[in-house]
Amino acid sequence: MSTPIIPSADLRSPDLGSARSITSTTRRTKLGSYVILLTFAVVYMGPLFVLLTVSMKSLPEFFKNPLGLPAGLNFENFVDAWKLANFPTYMLNSAIYASVATAIFVATSILVAFPIARGYFKGSKGMLTLYVVALFLPPALIPQFQLILNLGMYNTRPGYILLFLVNPIGMIILVNYIKSIPRELDESAAVDGCGYFRFVFRVILPLIRPAVATVTVLHAIGIWNELILPTIYLTNDNYYPITRGLIVFEGVYGSNWPALSAAVLMLMIPMLILYMFLQRYIISGLTAGSVKG
Amino acid sequence: MTIKVSKKSYLFGRGWQRWTPLFLLLPGFGLYLVMAVGPSVATAVYSFTDATGIKGAPVNWIGFDNYDEFLFRGLASRDNIAALQRTLIFSVLVTTIQFGLGLLLALLLNQKLKGRTFFRTLFFMPVILGVAIQGLMWKLLLLPNGGPIAEMFGWFGVRSEFLGGQPKEAFLWVIVVQIWANVGITMVIFLAGMQTIPEDLYEAASIDGADGWNLFKSITWPQLTPAINTNFLLNIIGSLQAWQLFLVLTGYKNGTQVLGYLVFAEGFGQTSGSFTTAFRQGFAAAASIVLFFLVLVLGLAANRLVNRRERKYLG
Repeated sequence: MSTPIIPSADLRSPDLGSARSITSTTRRTKLGSYVILLTFAVVYMGPLFVLLTVSMKSLPEFFKNPLGLPAGLNFENFVDAWKLANFPTYMLNSAIYASVATAIFVATSILVAFPIARGYFKGSKGMLTLYVVALFLPPALIPQFQLILNLGMYNTRPGYILLFLVNPIGMIILVNYIKSIPRELDESAAVDGCGYFRFVFRVILPLIRPAVATVTVLHAIGIWNELILPTIYLTNDNYYPITRGLIVFEGVYGSNWPALSAAVLMLMIPMLILYMFLQRYIISGLTAGSVKG
Repeated sequence: MTIKVSKKSYLFGRGWQRWTPLFLLLPGFGLYLVMAVGPSVATAVYSFTDATGIKGAPVNWIGFDNYDEFLFRGLASRDNIAALQRTLIFSVLVTTIQFGLGLLLALLLNQKLKGRTFFRTLFFMPVILGVAIQGLMWKLLLLPNGGPIAEMFGWFGVRSEFLGGQPKEAFLWVIVVQIWANVGITMVIFLAGMQTIPEDLYEAASIDGADGWNLFKSITWPQLTPAINTNFLLNIIGSLQAWQLFLVLTGYKNGTQVLGYLVFAEGFGQTSGSFTTAFRQGFAAAASIVLFFLVLVLGLAANRLVNRRERKYLG
């Protein structure tokens, strides 16, 4: 099966298609476009708006008037949820998992991607194929569990982190990007007596920063949003990441929708802010990452 | 595959120093073999055993028994077949609708419109939020008492339990949320494809008097082939494997399960990771191999279709 081509995607990319739009877009199709787009915008903004209004209502107020605007700006639910949901612990856990696993993954991957991209081994083509093929192999879920279990790392933080140290899509992105860095660089560095390790981290790394940023974002967001693996591997709620904590919170406070909305919002806001600032990397990363489904 | 540092191309040092890259590559590649490739392949092996989730418990080879039980034995197998059919229905609906909507949004947003960046950003947003937030958000929207969608249905005199009601209806709502959450990816891939179409093609065709639908049919659609292929394959493969929104939205609800959820439920217990003896991991491995073959067969079929199209349009 051929690998799907992932075009680099950027929402703010230069507008190559605008010239034709000016010539061919009549006023009527423009109006029609806006009607459709605004309808969709309602479907995408609506949920945020509902969350926001519900989160500012007291529980009785919510039951009496679930849809109207809240009586006033009331942030009690946020305070409650923050305390009840054990948010500080969970957020810290998520941050630890995402940062440690991503750092290890990126550092080790660069050292794999560089020699593969350069063909420094006889088997480097085969190795790259091994990463591509992984996208189509059966899920590793069950043997992975047996492995962690028998290593005695079930329900531990290191065991959980161990699950996130590989990412074939990230590797493919890195390899492809490194291929675009001219080889002459290697030659001149080697002639100057630069060592291999220093060359990779001092010369290559700064040059492949866009790819590293994309891969970092892709990997970290994947860990931050992961819901299934903590459900499987972590039973001690001191180890829960925020996603699992949120679902547990829903289980306990499922009928207290104002508090739950506040909790969901608190989780969303940092992500949305990050999205505003790192949009380019996030989108290209997640679009490539979607190969996994 | 022989791994050996080649003499010609490697420049950094000689003698034992030639082994530096290989040595430094080992942690990353080793982890990959141990944590990803190995377990992936081992899934097939486990599917022929009665492995459980208990540490140190004996594991016996039972041949095709798991497959036999999964596909042919008793009432449970009928549920499994139903889940398999449901997976297909889910995949067909999600693939076609997400593909169509993604294309529509991309076409609209490839025009020069005010607020274009805003719309693109907005439609992609759910992708970054992850299933837990996506799911809980929609649970709130779909509250049968007092939820905004219930209210809107009320204007037309329709009452519904949504996710808590008829399995068929709950299933349809999960499809809606799945598409809502992921159409942004499809849209972005289409947009990236559209931006590579050379401008002069449109200009030349416009001079010849082509417009609207004709431009789309004769230029955009054929020129968009790589993006179309990518989206088609991604949507099929992704939707066959998707099940996490079911976990958040409906839980393990009879009449809504898809294969992916079945694997999880059999292998790790139905609702949580609590450590029980009910983990039937050998059986779950067999179920996941069944799903794998489904993905493989449909993926290869789609790939053939896509290749034929590519030959037709791009020669």
